[in-house]
Amino acid sequence: MVPDVAAPFQIKEGELIMDADRMVLNAYDASAVEEALVLKEKHGGEVEVVCIGPAKASETIRKALAMGADKGIHISTSGDEGFDSASYASILSSFFGDKEFDILSLGKQSQDTDSGLTGSMVAEKLNLPYATNAVGLEIEGNNLVVKRQGDSGQEMIELPTPCAVTCSNDMNEPRIPNLKGIMASKRKPIDVVELSSLGISEEDLSPASKVISYEQKPARQAGKKFEGEADEIAREVAQLLDTEANVI
Amino acid sequence: MSQNNLSFELNEDQKMIRDSVKDFVERHVAPSVMERDNSKEFPMEIVKQLGEMGMLGIYHSEQYGGSGFDTLSFCLAIEEIARWDASLALTVASHTSLGTGHIAIAGNHEQKVKYMPELCSGEKLGAWCLTEPGSGSDASGMKTTAVKEGDHWVLNGSKIFITQGSVGDTYVVLAKTDPEKDTKGISGFIVEGSWEGVKSGPGMHKLGMNSSDTTEVIFENVKVPAENLLGEEGMGFIDTMKVLDGGRVGIAALSVGIARGALEESLKYSQERKQFGKPIGDNQYIEGKLVDMATEIDAARLLVWRAATLKDQGKPYTTEASMAKLFASELSVRAALEAVQIHGGYGYTKEYHVERFLRDSKLMTIGEGTSEVQRLIIARELKKTLS
Repeated sequence: MVPDVAAPFQIKEGELIMDADRMVLNAYDASAVEEALVLKEKHGGEVEVVCIGPAKASETIRKALAMGADKGIHISTSGDEGFDSASYASILSSFFGDKEFDILSLGKQSQDTDSGLTGSMVAEKLNLPYATNAVGLEIEGNNLVVKRQGDSGQEMIELPTPCAVTCSNDMNEPRIPNLKGIMASKRKPIDVVELSSLGISEEDLSPASKVISYEQKPARQAGKKFEGEADEIAREVAQLLDTEANVI
Repeated sequence: MSQNNLSFELNEDQKMIRDSVKDFVERHVAPSVMERDNSKEFPMEIVKQLGEMGMLGIYHSEQYGGSGFDTLSFCLAIEEIARWDASLALTVASHTSLGTGHIAIAGNHEQKVKYMPELCSGEKLGAWCLTEPGSGSDASGMKTTAVKEGDHWVLNGSKIFITQGSVGDTYVVLAKTDPEKDTKGISGFIVEGSWEGVKSGPGMHKLGMNSSDTTEVIFENVKVPAENLLGEEGMGFIDTMKVLDGGRVGIAALSVGIARGALEESLKYSQERKQFGKPIGDNQYIEGKLVDMATEIDAARLLVWRAATLKDQGKPYTTEASMAKLFASELSVRAALEAVQIHGGYGYTKEYHVERFLRDSKLMTIGEGTSEVQRLIIARELKKTLS
């Protein structure tokens, strides 16, 4: 669950101010849900979605249920502020510690902080085989074959299950919930899990990182306009790219 | 003290439906809307996709293949579609509330079982045939007749300005079954487009709503089985009034969508376009236009939501539907006109959306009863309040 990227936000005295009412399903998580649904359609099984957040997180869970997930789990927290990646990873690994599953499909990062840490931390804490930045998933026997986007091309990685994988949003186009799905989502269960039942209290979560302050990106400088004959301009541009921009 | 039910907060279903339609429209409808306005092509593929999504029977009963949501959800969906493509919104609105709507209001169980599921899924498209070359809102002047002959009716006449006139499969047709009586001699019929004697004219050349299908439909000695009489004989006009009440709420929502499009495009453009060293949107003349548009859009939307809510609560809403339609439709024209003005020379070209909004908006003050007819209805209802 992340703030709607289309929602306006402000930075005031180093603090980020945004509309906490406009929260949406993180685009990377939507891809993770979509891929899980595709696997379910091909191979059977169940898709459960887990979301950490305050009461309104249930709306985000319902969207995933409307897409076709079978069950929702809402790990309930109090404030709108959220936590750092390490805290989320602690909560998730406590939750999944005693659960049975084949594949943990996570968004590779969140659209708001872009940290990209939680998935790897959860896999590490649960001692699961994992791959990041997946652009395709296939099940072969008891293994998950992950196509991941690497530096120089796509890599195929085979992971024994249970395993964890973080998904790129280039992986698929998440389906838009249809009206039947929206209607059906009302009848699907959402289990609410209190942090205390996981043996965690919000005060005890020790963040591994802390945002000191936010700063507005400086406004883009106006570009340079060239006027005149084409060959003259080309010469001038080439020269400035060399002497001023230092890119040639 | 009784509980105050007045709420401006949408419920979770309504928000999800609005967001789903918005996503769909931005992904599949908006990118090709200018092309369609130009080619005047009916977007059959998009309409089928909307059908698969459950959008073509949004407030009809699940028992008959509908999606089972409320009228307010329908209005939210229509607004989202109309924000980008008013022609498509008109297709969805007329199919849902007029064609299918009349069967839902007046049909018996067998008729609903037979016709509604394929209409709600979009497998078949519905068209509602009321207007004739010589009669519009005053249906008593209609010339189309249906004469009972044994176990069937014989239908003759021609209808005009029929939305889905040529792409429609299932027609609801109003005809005089007793020429001696005026409105009480009118009955409704379900007519399948494949039956002998049903003919569609060519697409009409219109000011706007280019990719919505509008044609004449002609009925020549069409044999309609007796079981396809829709509602009671002689009650067609009464049912028509109910259908139109619902239809007007949809047209009002469509108008709000067009007006919102006009505002959003103008807001964006007026910040991008710089003259005399600053965005034109920082001039008070332009700001004033934007503010008036935004304020009136909110007012119109509240009228739409109220009419939809009354309908869902099963309360009378004729006046409220007409007020919503009157105010929202006239606003859509004003907003589109201002949007073209704000866009200046560019607004007059087909490079920008706003000139289409202007052409499309004009139908809003005409279709499903002109503004003048809405005033007539509201005035009549007003006078009823005098004791």
